[in-house]
Amino acid sequence: MGKKKNSYAKWGYIFSIPFVAAFLVFSLYPILYTAVIGFTDLQGLFQNEVHILADPLKNFKDVLTAPTFQTALKNTVIIWIANFIPQILLALLLAAWFTSTRHKIKGEGFFKVVFYMPNIITAATIAILFKAMFDYPMSPANDVVMTLGLADGPINFLINKNVSRAIVAFIQFWMWYGYTMIILISGILGISPEIFEAAEVDGANGWQTFFMITLPNIKTILLFTLVTSVIGGLNMFDIPKLFMLGGPDNATLTTNVFIYNQAFSGSYMYNKAAAASMIMFVIILIISAIMFFFLRDKDEEEAYKIEKARIKKFKAEQKALKKAGKEV
Amino acid sequence: MRNRESSVVFKVIMYIVLVLLAIMSLAPFWIMLMNATRSTYEIQQHAISFLPSTYLKSNLQILLGKSFNPLVGFKNSLIISVFATGLSVYFSTLTAYALVVYDWKLKRPFFRFIMGIMMIPAQVTTIGFYQMVYKVHMTNNLLMLILPAIAAPSMVFFMRQYMYPSLSMEIIQSARIDGAKEFYIFNKIALPIMKPAIATQAIFSFVNSWNNLFMPLILLTDQKNYTMPIMVSLLRGDIYKTEYGSIYLGLLLTVLPLIIVYLLLSKYIIAGVALGSVKG
Amino acid sequence: MKKRVISLLLCSAMVATMFAGCGGSDNGGAANAGGTEAAGGNAATDEGKKSDPATTINLYSFTDEVPKMVEKYIEEHPDFGYTVNTTIVSTTDGAYQPALDQALQSGGADAPDMYCAEAAFVLKYTQGDASGFAAPYKDLGIDVDAKIKEAEIAQYSVDIGTNGNGDVVGLGYQATGGAFIYRRSIAKDVFGTDDPEVIGEKIGAGSGSWDKFFAAADELKAKDYAIVSGDGDMWHAIENSSDKGWIVDNKLTIDPKREAFLDISKKLTDEGYSNITQDWQDAWFADMKDAGAKKVFGFFGPAWLINYTLAPNCGGEKVGEGTYGDWAVCPSPIGFFWGGTWILANTNSDKKEAVGKLIEWITLDCTEDGLQYKWANGTLYGEGGTKDSVASGTVMKMSNGELEFLGGQNMFDAFVPANQYANGKNLTQFDETINQKWRDQVRSYAAGEKDRDAALKDFKQDVKDNLSVEVE
Repeated sequence: MGKKKNSYAKWGYIFSIPFVAAFLVFSLYPILYTAVIGFTDLQGLFQNEVHILADPLKNFKDVLTAPTFQTALKNTVIIWIANFIPQILLALLLAAWFTSTRHKIKGEGFFKVVFYMPNIITAATIAILFKAMFDYPMSPANDVVMTLGLADGPINFLINKNVSRAIVAFIQFWMWYGYTMIILISGILGISPEIFEAAEVDGANGWQTFFMITLPNIKTILLFTLVTSVIGGLNMFDIPKLFMLGGPDNATLTTNVFIYNQAFSGSYMYNKAAAASMIMFVIILIISAIMFFFLRDKDEEEAYKIEKARIKKFKAEQKALKKAGKEV
Repeated sequence: MRNRESSVVFKVIMYIVLVLLAIMSLAPFWIMLMNATRSTYEIQQHAISFLPSTYLKSNLQILLGKSFNPLVGFKNSLIISVFATGLSVYFSTLTAYALVVYDWKLKRPFFRFIMGIMMIPAQVTTIGFYQMVYKVHMTNNLLMLILPAIAAPSMVFFMRQYMYPSLSMEIIQSARIDGAKEFYIFNKIALPIMKPAIATQAIFSFVNSWNNLFMPLILLTDQKNYTMPIMVSLLRGDIYKTEYGSIYLGLLLTVLPLIIVYLLLSKYIIAGVALGSVKG
Repeated sequence: MKKRVISLLLCSAMVATMFAGCGGSDNGGAANAGGTEAAGGNAATDEGKKSDPATTINLYSFTDEVPKMVEKYIEEHPDFGYTVNTTIVSTTDGAYQPALDQALQSGGADAPDMYCAEAAFVLKYTQGDASGFAAPYKDLGIDVDAKIKEAEIAQYSVDIGTNGNGDVVGLGYQATGGAFIYRRSIAKDVFGTDDPEVIGEKIGAGSGSWDKFFAAADELKAKDYAIVSGDGDMWHAIENSSDKGWIVDNKLTIDPKREAFLDISKKLTDEGYSNITQDWQDAWFADMKDAGAKKVFGFFGPAWLINYTLAPNCGGEKVGEGTYGDWAVCPSPIGFFWGGTWILANTNSDKKEAVGKLIEWITLDCTEDGLQYKWANGTLYGEGGTKDSVASGTVMKMSNGELEFLGGQNMFDAFVPANQYANGKNLTQFDETINQKWRDQVRSYAAGEKDRDAALKDFKQDVKDNLSVEVE
């Protein structure tokens, strides 16, 4: 029996080979490159000799103490929170509506399909459209202001830092709520219908079902959503870069736009960009680890144990069967 | 009675929310469609309009006149997106399968490793990547944009999260008892069970790959290899005399194939396919 | 069931739109079949010659303007013996420079032999980090000094294209010296005449100061006109008038004339001299045909602004329609230039002589067979094309720059001197980034979002954190 188990374990390695191979060939060099040059003096385009700095952490210290980086970090967190909380709440609500067995929604398929559509358009187009929408002094937003008589003259929305941040957060929210909803729906559909039926038999109402059954049962998918959203949110780049170039007055400058600027806005400070990247990597790692700790560890540990026990039991049964067969 | 009333109120609110969200989601497509029929001049006066104009044909002529060859763009974009999506979906599921089904020593470290590389910010690794491609003189090779898709950590993560509750060991065990080989079990049993997850991830992956701009822009310097977004980017390139009408038309042509693919795959989203096999 | 019907409806609606789209493109495809075929033919010849890299010139550009010129040259000179393999990467998405830099660095058969650089980043390739790749024109077999004299190339263009050793490595075909382009009807209403000389006098043309300009702004304001559309219109003139560039000895320097832009911008806003628009935004374009809050008197810009921006946005296509024909050009209070393309050759190229022929034809040939004569008269692609001001003063003197759009004025009368006033010595390779940061802060200050000191302080901090430049 032990032998057989080993022969299956082998397949775990075999099935992982393509991933590992592709990673080694295409990603290892870029990642090592990033990890290493953060400690060097690599700046500018055509520098051929690269040295480790006398103080290897200098780039990291420079980045961390740069007020612009601190602003960028603050903006990133603000914009991420402002878009993620409404986004996950709305996505959960929609997912609950669409998967509820209590009421059928007319045009359900239409709505589900349409809600993801903003994600299909390229960020550049979205940025241009939103900019046009809030432009000064003439824009649809200002038309509304003037028609309703909300102000004496047109309002220069995009010079205001908070308004600009809010718009970026809204764009992110609007682009991604459909995606999050689809992920959550696929998670909820993975729950066995019997559990819901049992809840209904027990007389649970909609809210109770949602909180007692749905939420706990999509924990793994919820964890996926949270972790990928942290990664995506803290790496936010396209919209802030294309919408206002990080402005006005750095109000929508995110850390990734900062990193891009370090590398590409003129000085080609690859070393500082790499250092900033590694700093962001560590921050994301810590936040994700916290989420894992709260959302997974106990649960998965248990699932892991249960599964092991199940396999054991199954094997024991097989053994017993075989034995019985032999005996017969 | 009361209950029924509150249920009606609830329904009204629900439909209002749904319809508003639907309008919000479709509006940009409408605007793009309208702008594709408007002249550059009209767009410069009012970038957003909900009514069409009459310049579709002239926009198209400008578009085709500007070394914009939609067929070549479609072909290249399609090759890259289809193969990248196919590879990443298949191999991510395979890797997730290795992480869920088998018991091997390095399983947990390997998973942590995948989670780790998933968190590396993309902005700077792209620099390393294109420098590498230039150093080995592999520019203008579509494979450079396709093969890296095999290692898609976040997709592996999703597939694993999805597979854990939905794939039961019993089925695999019984298939083994029936004498099925491991690859056969994966292809014929695990893959079909994962269909809804694969469809969703395929949509996301296809959209990403289709809209990808920066890397193809740097790596594909030969006009024969240009993708749709590169062509649109070229239209926008001439800032002193930008033809906005034809840009919107180009954007529309770029987004149409995405909508088709999306609608084809959205079967799983619309129909809400419940998982096909026994649940644990 | 209903659900299915609705999603079916949705699908068919989508499909219908698609077919509509496809139908449209089919028609266009047919109409353009000739063009497509021609392109196909080109591709085929490209491929045919590709087997022989010895006669293929690699050209990197960010628009199809220069590639089309080169095509034209090859068409007109069948004995040239080379074909061109073009790479176009647009600058809007920030990929042109990385792609070009990598290609230059990697070398080999795919390396560019000839490449273009835009005003915003040309300094990097002529004098900055990448100047090592730029071959002096004299090494391409061009008698550059004599030719520059003969063609009367504007000094600013030569200054920008000259490397640290004093060798010319890049020149352009356009001249982008700027002037003040104003509305005749408003000039008559306020100043009693639309004569460019009188109006020039009124706004202090060539005076080097903005005093008269603001006096004129007051007079215009009295009749409810704005003198410019936004502060961006004045920025290029102010930027170019300063004595020092942003960076001196690797230190950030704020020239007093540039610092004064803070006050000028604030004044425009507070006094109501402008419509507070931002260049290249909807409202800016609207001001070109009187669709803004106030009617706008004029715009600062080079000839391309007239041809590519004002004319298409004036609300008409012939005299009497919109503001067409109601414009005139007079010199700016301070000389400046805006934009332009410089052409460079790779030192590592082994086809220097052939590249030299192309570059000479584009940038220095001042005969009627040269590119610039055709460019100035709008005859490169046949009669009646867009006229543009060109690098060579000699060519402009023998060309006809009369435009109906300008009420029959010969634009070269204003742009030849404008090109001479322009200054090419206060540029740095970081200008694009620094200007963007500067104008962002100026906007915040002018809008009353922050005080002057804070704007200056934040500007310095921002530059310090983003560029390897020393900041006090």
